[in-house]
This record gives sequence, C-alpha cells and structure tokens, in this order.
Amino acid sequence: MKRIPISLIGCVCAVLFAVSAFAAGPLTVDIHGPGQRMVNLTILPPRGLEGAPVPEAEAKALQDLVTNNLSYIPFLKLVGVDQLLGGDPSTGVTGADIDFKPFQLARVDLCMTTGWNGEYIEARVYETFSGNRVVGKSYRDVSQNLPLVADRFCSAFLEALTGKKGFFDSPIAFVRQIGKSKEICTVLPQGRELKQITNLGEYNLSPTWSSDGSRIAFTHIGKTRHELCVYDSATNLIKRRYKGLGSTIISPVYSENDKLFVALNRNGATNIYGLDRLFKPGKPLVESPYIDVSPSFDRSGKKLVFTSSRAGNPHIYLLDMETGRISRVTTTGKYNTHPCLSPDGRFVAYTHQTSDGHRIYLHDLQTGREKQLTFGPGNDEYPAFGPDGYFVAFASNRTGEYKVYLTTRHGDTPKLIPTGKGAAFAPAWDTSLQW
Amino acid sequence: MKIRWNLIIVALMVVALFVAAGCAKKTTTSTPDETKVEVKDDTSWTPPPAKPQVDEAALAAEAEARAKAEAVEELSSVTIHFDFDSYVLKEEARAILALKANIMRKYQDVTVVIEGHCDERGTEEYNLALGERRARAAYEHLVILGVDPGRMKIVSYGEEKPVDPGHNESAWAQNRRAEFVVQ
Repeated sequence: MKRIPISLIGCVCAVLFAVSAFAAGPLTVDIHGPGQRMVNLTILPPRGLEGAPVPEAEAKALQDLVTNNLSYIPFLKLVGVDQLLGGDPSTGVTGADIDFKPFQLARVDLCMTTGWNGEYIEARVYETFSGNRVVGKSYRDVSQNLPLVADRFCSAFLEALTGKKGFFDSPIAFVRQIGKSKEICTVLPQGRELKQITNLGEYNLSPTWSSDGSRIAFTHIGKTRHELCVYDSATNLIKRRYKGLGSTIISPVYSENDKLFVALNRNGATNIYGLDRLFKPGKPLVESPYIDVSPSFDRSGKKLVFTSSRAGNPHIYLLDMETGRISRVTTTGKYNTHPCLSPDGRFVAYTHQTSDGHRIYLHDLQTGREKQLTFGPGNDEYPAFGPDGYFVAFASNRTGEYKVYLTTRHGDTPKLIPTGKGAAFAPAWDTSLQW
Repeated sequence: MKIRWNLIIVALMVVALFVAAGCAKKTTTSTPDETKVEVKDDTSWTPPPAKPQVDEAALAAEAEARAKAEAVEELSSVTIHFDFDSYVLKEEARAILALKANIMRKYQDVTVVIEGHCDERGTEEYNLALGERRARAAYEHLVILGVDPGRMKIVSYGEEKPVDPGHNESAWAQNRRAEFVVQ
C-alpha cells in the first residue's frame, strides 16, 4: 500500500518538473495571436572586450540607432538602467557576467549587451528570467557601417522573438509629391535609405514590388495616356508600355510567380487582366461590366482580393484562383476600396469610408470578424501589409499633409515613417525576405 | 510867329526820336567766321501706300478662322459635371455634348482628348477607373451624335487634377468632371 502513495508523489513531481521545464522555454511573442504581450528591454552600457577601450562616440551612435529601430516595435518597451535596483548589474557582456535578479525585480524581460574591440563588436540579448541568450551576433568594420549593423542586429532580434524576419531590411515604395508631379521613391521603414527611383514627371502612381524585390511596377499618367512602367533595380532602367493595353492602366500587382496583373479597360469596362512576358493581356480574370480594380494576392497566389462596383457601390471581393469562385468580403458601409491581402491569406486590410473620412479596417477571412485599425483624424488610406503580415503601412493626412505611417494588425498607435519633404502616398512593402 | 515856333519844336522832337531810335539799334551781334551749316537728309522718298483693295476671300477666311477659334474655345472651355461616384450623363451634360458634337462635326480636323476627373473623397485607384468611365461616357455619347471616334482619346486623371483645391461640397462638385482638351 505504501508503494502507491510513493509512486503517486513521484508522478506528481515528474509532472511538476515537466511543467516548470516547459514554462522556462524561450521567450517568444505571438504577433499573430489574439493579443500581444508587452516586453520590457534594457540596453546595458557598452563594454570593452579583452580590456579594449570603448569608442564612446561610435558606441553611443550605435545605441541611438538601435533605440530608434526598436521604437518601431509596438510590443517592446525600453527600460533605462537607472530603473534597476543598484544600477548596472553587469561586469561584462556574457550571461555569466550579468546578475539577472535586479531585472526580475524591475519586471524587465530582456537585456542587451554590446562589447567593443576597435572595429569589432559583439551584441547579445538575454532573457532575464532564464538567463538564456535570445540572439548573439558579431560584426566587423563597424564604424563605417553603423546603420547597417543596427538594422541587421535588430532584424535578427525581431526574428528570434517573433519568428518573422525582414522588417528592418525590407524597403517600402511610395508615391512622393515633388512640385506638381508625383514620383516613386523607396525608404526603409525606420526612415533610412530614402531614394527617388523615377523622374518621369506628371503622375506616377500605385507602385508594387515583384516577389523577389528586384522590380517595381507602377502606373504613369501622361498628357494623353496611361502607361505601365517597370523599374528594374539591377539596371536602374524603366520600361514603359502602353500599346495593346487600352486607355486605362490601373493598379498593377505581381502574383507569386512574378506574373503581372493589372486593371485595364479594353472593351468599355475596367477589369483585371494577367499579362504575359511581352505585356500582352490574356482573358480577364473576371469579366464584368463593372469597375474591378486594386487586385492583391496572398503569398501562395491562390487568393486574390479586389475592389468591384458590382453591388452598386465599391466593395471588397475575394476570388478563389483555383475554383474561380467570387465571394463578397465587405457588407457594411457604401465605399470600401484598396484591399491588401496579408501574405498568409487570412486578413484583408482595406479603406472604409466613414462620415469622418477614410479609415483602415481589417477583415479576418477565417472568422468574418472586422476590426477598425486606424481612427484618423483626416483620411487614412492605402493599407499595405509588411513582409511578416504583422505591420501595416498606410498613408494619412492627419497632420494636414499626407504622410506614411506604421501600425500593426492589432491597431497599435501609428508611427510616422520619415519620407522627406513633400506629401507621401500609396506605400507598398517589399515582402521578398519572407519568401 | 507862334506857328513857326511850333513847327520848330515839332521838328526838334522828330530829330530827337530818330536819334533815340538809332541808339536802341546799336547791338553787339556778330556772326562767327567761316561757320558752315550742312544739312543732310538720307531718307529716301517713298510713295504713299496704295489704297488697299478689298479681298473678299481673305476676309472670309479670317472670319472662318475666328469662328473656328471661338468654337474651339467653346469646345475646350465648357466642362460637364457628374454626381458623386457616378458616371451617368445628366441632362445638362447631354445638352453641352450636343453643342460639342456640332462643333466637331463642323470642324473635321479638330481632335480632342477627353479627360475624366474625380473629387478627392474617393480613393486613388477606384477614382482612376471612375474618371475613365466619365470620360468614356462623354466619348460614347459624342460617337452616337456622329463624331468620328478616331478623333477622340480618353485619359483619366482620377483625383490628381482638381480645378478647385477646396475641401467642401462646392469644390467637390466642380472637380467631378470631364474636360475636353483640343489637340
């Protein structure tokens, strides 16, 4: 009889051990879950490696760059070293050199260390509760490449936390007002590497990336016609096409195999056509006498959402590319346009017109639930999913002039993306790093 | 005797007058030596213009050119307007298009680009399609009224070129339009 309680106690202990072991798993953030937890991070002061001195200016510049990068991550909150009991609890840059208890008392989840040895640095992030290393990287020739080092490290850190990569390395194409014309530019989401890629004059609109990120297609509106333009980043050349495409060329988009789709009016109605490699249109995807524009594919190319006026007002529709079946996505409101399908094909972000202006809404194709992501003021338009399907870029005139902002699919507080002088519209994200 | 003295007095006065007049004329005017004044006139003589003759053909051509210029002005200056999110031609627009069709039928060498425009309330890509529909509605109506389709082109600017930059119903109503640009 005594053996049974003993074996029972043994089993309970084993279960408790297993549970505690599971609970001590690596810290991750489920950015696609129903909600998201806030994660507190402390950046510890830089230290010299092997007795080398810390280059103060470079170390401060790198810390400022990393701090700015991480300010774009809505679930990360930076906690200063002065908030820790006893100040800096580290004597070096490895886990063995850190006393994690003050972090636990201050409810800090993660801490980052940087070690310097001339042009060489080591950067690490540790979980404070387990002492495990979340990410560790080393870089050479640092002083000449501080922004690049900051971007690479932050991308690796974010990937370790969320399982998604590419946020800090994936440029956003957008339309920028330059004088009376509109030109296409690109910028990293943290506001660096701003580059103007067109100088065609008139109006250059609706940029979209190829799946490998090497080309950007867009619409050019000249004095007498529309043109379909494709910018090639390898050659910096722009191909311009209009013959055989009709009078209207709107909203180009690449599918997963880099086939171009575009809304054309070839027989009196604006419909969505696929183009072959010679830019020759085939049959329309959906033939209707209505306005069909703004196609957006998921990463697999099996789903397409688009705007159509077939119900009398513009609404969002979903086309199953395998069956050809079309279903209506939005049913509320009278003006729902500019849909963007998340890379995993689950969510549709779109522009919903309200009495106070346009707002960005999110529709969950699995549950049918809708959520308002932005709240103005002014107009919030042009939603575009990032490569991770978590961030959503959009343009808003909430400050009077249209600028590009970042939010998440949870509707986190929008953050301005620096795009230089002039109004900025129509962000489109390069998602190639997620493929 | 008395008369004689009077005569003498009168004669003396006359002599005194002559003497005084002679003194007044005594001036110091002098002409410089060897001064020559040369007058040159290089202008050639031109006959007066002939009286213009009335050229009836030129006058008619001029009048015709003026009439055409006015017609072209009317063709390009008068725009047609639409309701929000609509490309249906209203009665007023049909009347304007009838006048434009007359002009285009009369002046066969005139070609136009019909521009479709929208107000700022819609979104860009849908507005480009809507602007195209507006321009096409005007185009097709003109074709029905006998205008050669080869003389017309369509281009949509969506919301890119507002005539009124305001953000109110009055401005929006002005911006929802089709314009006719003579080439």
